[in-house]
Amino acid sequence: MKKINYKLIIMVILSLIAIIFVYNDYFLYNTPILKVKKINNETRESTLHKEEYLDQRITGIIMNGEFKGKELTITNTSSYSQVFDMRIEENTEVFVNLNTNGDFISIQNIKRDKYLIILLIIFIDSILIVANNKGVKTLLSLFINIALTSLAIMIFKRNFRNINMLLLYIIVSILFIVISLYITNGKGKKTISAIASSIISLFISFGLSFSLIKLFGKDLFIWSMEYIEAVHDYQNFFYTSILLCGLGAIMDISITISSSLNELILKNPNIERKSLIKSGKEISKDIVGTMSNVMLFTVFTPVLPSILLAIKDNILLINALNIYGELELTTVLCACISIVLTIPISLYTSVFILKGKEEIK
Amino acid sequence: MITILFIIFFSLLLLVGRERGFKTFLSFILSLFLIILYVRFMALGISAIVLAIITCILSTIVSLFILNGYNNKTKSSFISILFVLLIISIFIIVIGKVSHVGGFSVEELDTVGMYNRDINYNMNDVIVGVYLVCIIGTVIDTSISISSAMNEILVNNRDISSKELFKSGMNVGKDILATTINTLYFAIISGFIGFFMWHRDTSFGYIINYKAFAQVILELLLSFITSILIIPITAYISSKLFKK
Repeated sequence: MKKINYKLIIMVILSLIAIIFVYNDYFLYNTPILKVKKINNETRESTLHKEEYLDQRITGIIMNGEFKGKELTITNTSSYSQVFDMRIEENTEVFVNLNTNGDFISIQNIKRDKYLIILLIIFIDSILIVANNKGVKTLLSLFINIALTSLAIMIFKRNFRNINMLLLYIIVSILFIVISLYITNGKGKKTISAIASSIISLFISFGLSFSLIKLFGKDLFIWSMEYIEAVHDYQNFFYTSILLCGLGAIMDISITISSSLNELILKNPNIERKSLIKSGKEISKDIVGTMSNVMLFTVFTPVLPSILLAIKDNILLINALNIYGELELTTVLCACISIVLTIPISLYTSVFILKGKEEIK
Repeated sequence: MITILFIIFFSLLLLVGRERGFKTFLSFILSLFLIILYVRFMALGISAIVLAIITCILSTIVSLFILNGYNNKTKSSFISILFVLLIISIFIIVIGKVSHVGGFSVEELDTVGMYNRDINYNMNDVIVGVYLVCIIGTVIDTSISISSAMNEILVNNRDISSKELFKSGMNVGKDILATTINTLYFAIISGFIGFFMWHRDTSFGYIINYKAFAQVILELLLSFITSILIIPITAYISSKLFKK
């Protein structure tokens, strides 16, 4: 009991240090940061707009760089809705563009790094408190996944006209599968069978989605995809997002099935293949429903602001859904199809690997 | 395209899950319908946060009680989800208020720039609502997995004490956590690879403060945090409710 408290104290101290650090990290940035002290809001008298617009006169102090300590007054226009603009409040910190004399040119951005870091710290602390050692493993595998993702992005960024994005990510996906399943579940037959069934499921289900989109997806309006203009090969860009979307879910189902079948075999080594498959089916029935809902809610909901803006401008709901929701819904449905397909695939693969070796012994 | 995918999804579900597959499909369609209703009602000018909480509760009812029936498991999950919703909505409202992540970024000028911006509806509230609806799927998933497993443990061992039951619930939760976080990571990051291509020449310091980046990272971290938070709450409520 005492040891755990010790860990807790270290954790709290480290978290506090990190939070204090991000609240004072102005020196890390080259762009001048203005800490807002006083704001003068004036309602704009205008017949052009249908909602309240404020002209903000903002006074603050520059926190870093050449003009550190200088008091500066800047202006900002803010609408009530803040669709493309922002309303600045007291104690907000903003990045500003200044000319060489230190005069204000424009507002660049709001300083948001501290909120991201605070959430990150809450996430790390809570996973360590709730899951202890398993939390460490989960964090490690998440960290490696992030590192691999960034590595793939970097490779692609450097040489993005010559590398096939889809092919790159297929290779990286296999690495994702092997590394994360290995870290979180250790060595052993159940990990091997989970890895094998994840890879087989990934190929079969992605192959299906790929050919379905090739066959029937000619009317898909890929240009409405965000950031599409940044990518040279936009077809493969869309396929890549489909490939990655279901990847985590495939791993999830594979490891769930293979570890529960492994458990059953451990309890009763003479269990028949048929009854193994039957119990596996029972277990997996519970997974599909909630997993497909996870995909729907996490992937589809972020398009709602765009749809809202469109229907507010008298676009019919069904048309707005078609423009902004079609690609996301396609991605969600492809992921859901992968989820359903993974169940029989990983059932048979797991039985083959787990039972097959058992008999040789 | 969408119709074809729906048909394939439906037939695969029937093939693999039979009657339960049908229920899954029904709850999927109803959830989609609820999300669309949510945006439709937002357009009428009703508060986005209140609507989001109503949408969350309705989706929870739909996916819990249609998929798993009305019993001890779903009852305890439902109570736990309401608790988490209460805690996390306060948290998300605060974070949404201070971090100014509502609205669109410059990249989106091409896709939504042509619309009228005077909509008389606060986009910061919209993003808070979107986050709330986003996380509800994973909360339901984790909660029902834990309470079903605890119910299974109780059925196999009637004499287990409430404290031990709580402990096994926590153990089940720890096992689920790793895969849940993996699933969420890939689902959320999959649509975001393009962002880094767009900003291939900008510095890290610029990106980390950028609105579109913050929007996605907040979604990711908030879903992670809620999927952790639901574990002890479900384990505790189930251990009390099942042993009553």
